[in-house]
Amino acid sequence: MNPKGSEPRGHETQHPETAGAPVHLRPAEGADVPTLVSLLIRLKRLNEEFDPLLKVRPDAEAKAKEVLASDLKNPSALVVAVEGTGVDAGKVVGVVRAHIRERLFYTPEQEGVILDIYLLPLFRRKGVGEYVLAETTRLLKERGAGIVTAEFPVQNAIAVRFYAKRGFRPITALHARSV
Amino acid sequence: MVQASPPDAENPAPSRRKGGSPRSGRPTDDSAGNDSEEGRTKALGERSIELARYYRGKIETVPKVPVRSLDDFSLWYTPGIAAVSRAIHADPASAFDLTGRWNTIAIVTDGSRILGLGDLGPEAALPVMEGKALLFKYLGGVDAIPIPIRVSSPEEIVETVLRIAPAFGGINLEDISSPKCFYVLEELQARLPIPIWHDDQLGTAAATVAGLLNALTLTGRSIGTLRTVLLGAGAANLATARLLLALGHDPHRLSLVDQKGVLHAERDDVDELMVRNRWKYRLALSTDGGGRKGSLADAVREADVLLAASTPGPHVVKPEWIRSMARDPIVFALANPTPEIWPSVAREAGAAVVATGRSDFPNQVNNSLIFPGVFRGVLDARAKSIPEEIVLAAAKALAGHARERGLTADHLLPTMEETHVFPYVAAAVASRCVELGIAGVRKSNSEFLAEAKERMARPAEVAELLMRSKFTRPMPEAAGKEPRKR
Repeated sequence: MNPKGSEPRGHETQHPETAGAPVHLRPAEGADVPTLVSLLIRLKRLNEEFDPLLKVRPDAEAKAKEVLASDLKNPSALVVAVEGTGVDAGKVVGVVRAHIRERLFYTPEQEGVILDIYLLPLFRRKGVGEYVLAETTRLLKERGAGIVTAEFPVQNAIAVRFYAKRGFRPITALHARSV
Repeated sequence: MVQASPPDAENPAPSRRKGGSPRSGRPTDDSAGNDSEEGRTKALGERSIELARYYRGKIETVPKVPVRSLDDFSLWYTPGIAAVSRAIHADPASAFDLTGRWNTIAIVTDGSRILGLGDLGPEAALPVMEGKALLFKYLGGVDAIPIPIRVSSPEEIVETVLRIAPAFGGINLEDISSPKCFYVLEELQARLPIPIWHDDQLGTAAATVAGLLNALTLTGRSIGTLRTVLLGAGAANLATARLLLALGHDPHRLSLVDQKGVLHAERDDVDELMVRNRWKYRLALSTDGGGRKGSLADAVREADVLLAASTPGPHVVKPEWIRSMARDPIVFALANPTPEIWPSVAREAGAAVVATGRSDFPNQVNNSLIFPGVFRGVLDARAKSIPEEIVLAAAKALAGHARERGLTADHLLPTMEETHVFPYVAAAVASRCVELGIAGVRKSNSEFLAEAKERMARPAEVAELLMRSKFTRPMPEAAGKEPRKR
């Protein structure tokens, strides 16, 4: 049920860059769903800032609940709760949702797609995002991914910079118009 | 973009048609305050239009060199001037010695936030910028050129200022709406080697801090242990918050409050702020609500200081909130034209010190107390920039002069009558520029002071001379509804 290879661990000591606001990653559970829903909705509302075609639908919360419930049962899905430590111990401060997909025509054949990654603002700088991305990459690799991709609004310059710094480059583009 | 308006932005006072007779004097209660102010503002407006039509502009260029005969033009203009041009080509910095650049600034606006009237466009901004230029000259001895520009983006403002900068020793940004004013200021400060100032942020913030420093002295407080609430998160208060943090205010005891309540790191709109107003976003993170969440009422409980620069009152701040503050609370209600709470009401609710933005109450927090001295100082020191330390130096100098005259709850700051203070602010600013290593001219404080005194006094003397000789046309009688008999 839970993605394997993502047992809770005290990573902060191995990653000095997270010393300012340490977090650790663990597989999400059913009990996390309400918090994860609110984090996902925050992310979607942020996306809304970048393009009118990313307007959040009124039933987005119900949809988030559904998709989390289904992902938690899906062996090729990864849902991670990012937990604070120290004074924030036990508090879920971020979420990662990713899928393993097969690429039909290309190699590497297995792609780890980061669909959603969100951290509360106070847990953003100080290398926390970098650490969460590195851990997510490791988890996806363990599950067979030979390539990691991330989906986010093309206008999100902050995300573009974040991923570019970590070696990501655009490989396919999704162009849209309303009809 | 949702955020609390800066003082007198976006939410002009509800218009009241009671037509109270124009009179001055101190409003002591709600209705008296409103009626007299409304009536007086209207009367002043009518007179302003009359005079604008009569004088058609408030400043003009006047030769400052002798012209004994037309022959002299071969010195002031071609062919003689070619040598001056070549000299500057060889050493561009010499423009500050060989032309008026050392004392000339541009007042740049896009007209997007004219007084309390909102986005009226560049043409409508001109009379205001002319007025500002008059203040710059009269109070600071600075030649200021009004430059309202037609632009469609903040980037275009930056681009335009970069292109006109060769003519100027400094730039004063004026009446540009928030949050683009933050971007424009930051970008120009980074890209131009001359002082860049945005009065609505820095001038107001410096005057506020000056008043606050003295209010702290009066009530026996120090900044390190203060709990402060800033109501309104527009240009002025965001700049004030930054200055307070630079002075050592504990970020976790500082609460910014806007229309959505206390600004903290997990508020629903924080991601939106990250995208649209990163200056406010940074403060949301660094203060994290000052340890509070909820509404102004929640933030202000046990607070020492309330700095309101939000929307015109008089019922924006409630007396019970002041009653819930710590002993001897300090209340600044800076919205114009009507403070968030009438000073008398705030006093009754226990406020030990009250300041407003108005000259008809004690303790006027007025950016005109700051900008003449700041510009005189940075121009005389030929400063490359105006860092935060300079803004604080101006605030401290102003506060110091009020202390010299004797501090009381009704005399926190010099008034606009006390223009003799301005050269001291200028000298403090210039000396600080030297200390910080950003001055192109190194002189002692007393030299800067002597220079500033002379340069700041001259315009009033010239104006006096021109008025006496009637080269400045005498003020016409007010037309009005009841014409006065001659």
